[in-house]
Amino acid sequence: MRSRNIAQTLPLIAPVHILILSVIVIPSLFVIWLSITKSTYGQAPTFVGLENYFQVLSDPAFRSALWNTVVIVVFAVHIELAVGLLMALLFASGLPFRRFLLVAVLAPYAVSEVIAVVMWRYLFDPDAGPVTLALKGLGLPILDWAYEPSHAMILIGLLTIWLHLPFTFIILYAARLAIPADLYEAARIDGATPLQAFRRVTLPLLGPAIVVALLFRYIFAFRIFSEVWLLTGGGPARSTEVVAVYLYQEAFSYNAFGTAAATAWIMVVASLLLAAGYVLLLRRQVTANAQ
Amino acid sequence: MRNSRLITGAGKAVAVAALLVWSLLPIAFIVMSSLKPGRDIFAVPTVYVFTPTFQHYASLWTRWGQFFDGLLNSTVITAGATALAVVASTCAGYVYSRNSGRFHDASVMFLIVVRLIPPIVVTLPLFPIVNAIGLNDTHVVLMVLYATFFVSLGTVLMRTFIDQIPRELDEAAEIDGAGRFTILRRVIVPLAAPGIIAVAVFVVVFAWNEFLFAFIFTATNAKTAPLVISEMLGSMDGVDWGILFAASTVQLAPVLLFVVLMNRYLVAGLTAGATKG
Amino acid sequence: MTDRITLDITRRGFLGTALGGAAALAAGPSWAAAKTLNILSHKVHETVLGTGDGDLMKEWKARNDTDLVFTTFDSNPLQDRLFREASLPSTDYGVGYIIDNRPTADIAKLFALLDDFLKSAPIENYDDIAPGLREAMTVGGKTIGIPVRHATGGLFYNEALLEEAGISAPPTTLEELIEQAKKLTFTAKDGTPVTGMIMASDLAVFPVSFARAFGGDYITKDFKLLPKPEAMEKALGVMANMFKDGALPRSYATTKNDDQVTWMQQGRAAFTMITFARYKQFNDPANSKFPGKIKAVQFPKSKSYDGEMSAVTESWGMSIPANFADKELAWSYIREVSSPRVTLGMAKNGNGPVRVSTYADAEFAAASPVAAAEAKALATARGAFPPFPEAARAQQLFLEDVQLAVLGRKTPAEAVENMVKRITPLLPA
Repeated sequence: MRSRNIAQTLPLIAPVHILILSVIVIPSLFVIWLSITKSTYGQAPTFVGLENYFQVLSDPAFRSALWNTVVIVVFAVHIELAVGLLMALLFASGLPFRRFLLVAVLAPYAVSEVIAVVMWRYLFDPDAGPVTLALKGLGLPILDWAYEPSHAMILIGLLTIWLHLPFTFIILYAARLAIPADLYEAARIDGATPLQAFRRVTLPLLGPAIVVALLFRYIFAFRIFSEVWLLTGGGPARSTEVVAVYLYQEAFSYNAFGTAAATAWIMVVASLLLAAGYVLLLRRQVTANAQ
Repeated sequence: MRNSRLITGAGKAVAVAALLVWSLLPIAFIVMSSLKPGRDIFAVPTVYVFTPTFQHYASLWTRWGQFFDGLLNSTVITAGATALAVVASTCAGYVYSRNSGRFHDASVMFLIVVRLIPPIVVTLPLFPIVNAIGLNDTHVVLMVLYATFFVSLGTVLMRTFIDQIPRELDEAAEIDGAGRFTILRRVIVPLAAPGIIAVAVFVVVFAWNEFLFAFIFTATNAKTAPLVISEMLGSMDGVDWGILFAASTVQLAPVLLFVVLMNRYLVAGLTAGATKG
Repeated sequence: MTDRITLDITRRGFLGTALGGAAALAAGPSWAAAKTLNILSHKVHETVLGTGDGDLMKEWKARNDTDLVFTTFDSNPLQDRLFREASLPSTDYGVGYIIDNRPTADIAKLFALLDDFLKSAPIENYDDIAPGLREAMTVGGKTIGIPVRHATGGLFYNEALLEEAGISAPPTTLEELIEQAKKLTFTAKDGTPVTGMIMASDLAVFPVSFARAFGGDYITKDFKLLPKPEAMEKALGVMANMFKDGALPRSYATTKNDDQVTWMQQGRAAFTMITFARYKQFNDPANSKFPGKIKAVQFPKSKSYDGEMSAVTESWGMSIPANFADKELAWSYIREVSSPRVTLGMAKNGNGPVRVSTYADAEFAAASPVAAAEAKALATARGAFPPFPEAARAQQLFLEDVQLAVLGRKTPAEAVENMVKRITPLLPA
């Protein structure tokens, strides 16, 4: 019975798995091999064992990059979730000009990172940017991001939220739209307050979408690159460097393919650990879905 | 009662205004910069009143012809990648929603865990392979790559959305003698439309703006628009910011248009399924 | 040999068409000429060769019945792509443009040695090409590239702002530069806040120039790290003081090359150091608020140092990937581009000319007001550091300590000590 079921479904899941196997999995096996060798342009790989892993893990720059990444991921992703959820509910509650508003809030997602960074650098110029001047005019504290590492991290976080909030929002909004209206009708007839309806109907039914949005934002946010590379270049003095920048430098600036490959695998493990909670939640859902 | 409705309305208005400023301010500056005379773009203090000029768009047309070739290439690649990713994800999402067991559960988890591998590293081994089979600098290679990096998310999302479609519907169709493909086409796809659109939006935006793979795997024939923009930003002979912002505005427009068009289906889904205030 | 190339292109074109379904959209290779030479370069390298009637290679194309197809990228991606292509079993690219701080012994293995070509089909008046540039393209005594462009740094100043602050002449010593930069940290009469000097913090050029002004250096040609550490300490001390006094922008630690240009064009900074070739851009009336007012001199040295000071330069060469089949055709192209005629033609299109004789051309000198200063700087110019396998990593460590010292988070002495500790193990044995 089970094997017949698998045979029947195989043609439908085959395309996805063929793509993943040929483009990601098989090359990644080669990357494992690369990570235990030393090589660069014009130099064939020589076996070095686990040396690359030790070298990366013992590099203080890598450890600070890892810490910065974790901080940005944890803050940015959860703030995005909270705001995205509120936005989805706001839109679902009925708004005038909904079509226009939807395009407006999705727009940042369509802006390429390079251009977004150019604009943000100008808007937040610590001496004369329009936003800086506006904040000063209102008597608010400004972001001294080119000097203070903590301010730089805040700006990077804001920018990454600006770019990716639409992603979280659209998943939650699409999921919210799929909740049948009669459930809310029933809740109202039972005398539930809007808050109760949210807790008893919206939240449980949005649960799976929330987990998916969170998990994939974790995965994507862990590779945060352009926002840092183009905004601060990892500065001031490498204080805002993140893991992807470290990896990029190893691979493309230093052409050290062995340490780059090792960094990549350390990154996989680190992101798996960080997202472990959500992976387990998703697994529970996958199996619960069976009943 | 009326009071509380007023407060809700005011709260909503404030929230919407804040959202608009947050989302649109930087974009407004990009578009505005593309219309400013070159010397006013980075002026301090900021110039808000100016006579718009289309000079930068004209220069873009005459001096960066390859940008428009790039837009065509991007269009072809984005369309192909989106079609491939959406179809593959919907099929797989349907299977994973309706079937379980150790094999299926494990293979869903596998799809996600695989995505933890940073795309940048697979470029190292892929480059010689793509060259060896002669796919370098073709549209196909980017379509396949872009689709691949979104089928994991696509599949999981589609599974989540299809889970919400009552199974009784497919069972009824099955009793009427419909096969898996027919059920998928006639029952699942129409009902999962908002989810399909969400997935499509992700792939379109990703494929339209992607830089790294395009940089590694194209040269002239399949060169995409973001590559040309990154060349404009090149630091050797200086950046012409006006042209750059004009190009960015042009590049932004089609994606926004796509969202506008798709919007209709999202809103259709809304009226079919959700609350009325 | 040419058959193989054509075949390759056909195969590419075919797959692109059949699978991508976009033949009409892709700008395919031109079939007008019998042969095609594929070139990997920056867009600038293509632009300076001219187009249409001004095409400097028109005659060569006709003579060789060959079309030139340029694949262009920005500098660093370009180098990566070039090495990647040259590492394949075979490549379609006949000529690749390479930056002078890249050719290490490992990289040199990927390219054809050009000494035999230089003997069998010599370049016209080869000795006219600046010796320093030629030397930068040799590895272990063997030539792997022919110089084609250089970018040498000069000190740019905004004459209008200097006048406004009552300064009549640009600085002739580093001490004067610092003095003037401090004076020029003020609010201009049009209300613009002016910062004395702006410099990118992600390039070695600036600390290296300041150190050379005191007779020191970062890494010498024979791989000596910080030959006079006290000169580097002084350099960092001077820069740190400028930052403290506001004569460097608050955003120093995240400033890039492009910021230098916009700040100068807007009158937000009075001084900067950048390649002479930027003269045109600074003074372009469409983008600059000070057209004709931004001028350049050689970067001054400290009055406490009476030796010679080398300006920092970066140059490009043309090389042939070792895995390319038709090397004769590629060499023929390189010869033509290196000729005095094309060198002069490219210079008029804004290319930093590699031939000394080009600067003597009256028409060229008239068209470029900074030509004289540039020629003088070029005579003794040197790269910021020599190529070696860990050069990029060393630069990163170097800049980290420079930034910490300038921001005042470390004393110059601590920074220098840390540089020695961390960079020494990276130097070639």
